[in-house]
Amino acid sequence: MGQLEIELNTQVSTLEEVNARDLAPYQAVYLGNPYCPKHAGNLLENHRELAEAITRLKGMGKKAYVATPAAPRTGELGGVEKLVETAARAGADAVEAHNLGVVRLVHRRFPGLPVHTGCFANVYTDLGAAKLKEYGVRRVTPNYEVSLEEIHLIREAGGLEVEILLHGKMPLGLTNSCFLLNFPDHPCPQACREDFWLTTRDWVLKITGTVVWSGKDVCMLEHLPYLLESGYRAFRLETLYEPPEYRREVGLIYREALEHMAEGRELLWPAWLEMLKNWSRHGFCNGYYFGQAGRMYINQYGEPVSI
Amino acid sequence: MVELLAPGGSPEMVREVMEAGADAVYVGPRGWSRRAAAFELGDEELKECASLVHSYGKKIRVAINTLPHSREIPLLLKKLERFLSWGIDAVILTDVGCIHAVHRAFPELPIHASVGCNMTNAQDYAFFRELGVRQVVADCKLPWEELSAIRRAGLGVEVLIHASTCFTYIGQCWMSSYARQVWHLDAEGKNHFLGSPNRGGLCHRLCLAPWDVSCRHGTAAWGVKLRNEAFFLLEDIPRCLELGVSTLKIQGREYTPALMGAAVRLYRQLIDSCLASPRSFDPAPWYARLEEIKRLRDEQRARRTAELLRESIA
Ligand code: SF4
Repeated sequence: MGQLEIELNTQVSTLEEVNARDLAPYQAVYLGNPYCPKHAGNLLENHRELAEAITRLKGMGKKAYVATPAAPRTGELGGVEKLVETAARAGADAVEAHNLGVVRLVHRRFPGLPVHTGCFANVYTDLGAAKLKEYGVRRVTPNYEVSLEEIHLIREAGGLEVEILLHGKMPLGLTNSCFLLNFPDHPCPQACREDFWLTTRDWVLKITGTVVWSGKDVCMLEHLPYLLESGYRAFRLETLYEPPEYRREVGLIYREALEHMAEGRELLWPAWLEMLKNWSRHGFCNGYYFGQAGRMYINQYGEPVSI
Repeated sequence: MVELLAPGGSPEMVREVMEAGADAVYVGPRGWSRRAAAFELGDEELKECASLVHSYGKKIRVAINTLPHSREIPLLLKKLERFLSWGIDAVILTDVGCIHAVHRAFPELPIHASVGCNMTNAQDYAFFRELGVRQVVADCKLPWEELSAIRRAGLGVEVLIHASTCFTYIGQCWMSSYARQVWHLDAEGKNHFLGSPNRGGLCHRLCLAPWDVSCRHGTAAWGVKLRNEAFFLLEDIPRCLELGVSTLKIQGREYTPALMGAAVRLYRQLIDSCLASPRSFDPAPWYARLEEIKRLRDEQRARRTAELLRESIA
């Protein structure tokens, strides 16, 4: 298992977050917040800083991917085009699109610039992925509801690289107006720096303006050997709206696990899981990968457990 | 001429909305549309409904607008072939792969892109037109300019005039299956993905649970529902007609046939009077008539929501 070919990536919103220390565990970084243009310091809204962020990442020997707005209206497409132009000029390795219109736009105006689709692009089937390949898509993140059994089919038939969410909160819903505007005590844009949780029964969700997230962190650490064996090489640790320490520490744990796996060393499950738990407020789930409800956690022995 | 499209959640409802004056009806084959199985039709029922609708000289559209397992696409094509032999007039699809496969297999069959495709801009409309789509069901969250942009893209526009909006963009929510998802294979091998509105149609409406909102400083609010409201476009119907909207759609397969019949009668008369004298349209009397429909609709919806939330912990 060659360790170098494995990509751990993550996402940051601002230039301030593009620093060597916090991004040390990662080979690639998605730049910008696709969900809210008002997010303070959002790189998608400041093209000079975006170009600077790309240069910085390149200087660190990392790949730079640039996010695009998740649901732009027709009137915003001009801005999206300028954003992609900036990204291409500054040497971005790919752009990420959640919106199929953006996929088409990039394909027509910037042919040759690789496109990765994000979870809201709703790739659920192999034929859907194969069709997107004709539009310049090189990598897909299937919708998070898609099981691993189906993801294997998407990868085989689509002939595309597939990115897997390995750890972190997963988006569960995208809306058009900011939920946090209901709370005048927490005005925009500071509200986004605050953690808002939604709780009912024993369910917890996180909410950040226009996106609802899982309250639990998806954790696929125990299944990483299986994912590697199955041939996946691009893994996302979702750290948008997380503090820099989360990004760094969680990344380092996965990096260490990958090293142990590559070198055939002992796998320290309890210790790694314990360390990861320190960064998770509401426990772990592994999403929809095994066909179950997204909030459940299935361990490496296939047992549903609470963790 | 604008088309009034009505829901067909059961054979009784199909008959009721035809009698009430709908121009077309949409139905979902069991396991394949964005509604729970109770409001979908078995194949034999669908066949009978097709012949009933055609006996009125009207159209029937089949909603296959969930996102299937890759292995289910051949089954979908087989089913569609049967439906075509019964004379269905159009199909409503969501998945890019399914749209591509259906267009390739049945190039003459009109494909309408479901609201779940979540198109928001001119490049989206062009993308789906290139796939073979002829008409777009517009999300309630789209502003008027986008409806014109859909038209400019050479596509028909379908507008929801009587519906519920989701908290999220439709097709961009998997909160329900986060709480509960059960894989259930039917006799034909179709997975009903129970609990996933995108995949199987049954949604537990988590957005409408009473949520406590907390942050670092404590609880900011108790028992908040995420906005998911009734949506009526009554006074804007003349504007839709002016814009050249192709279809005005009433959503509501999960309500009673009598209620949907009443809704169709109201909108039928409203549209006809609007077409007869567009300049003198006065929405006031129509709002008064809508009140009773709204009251019954809210009652039925609240009961159903409570049931769905209860089932989510089963
Ligand atoms: S949970 Fe609410 S917002 Fe999500 S699909 Fe269901 S009704 Fe819509």
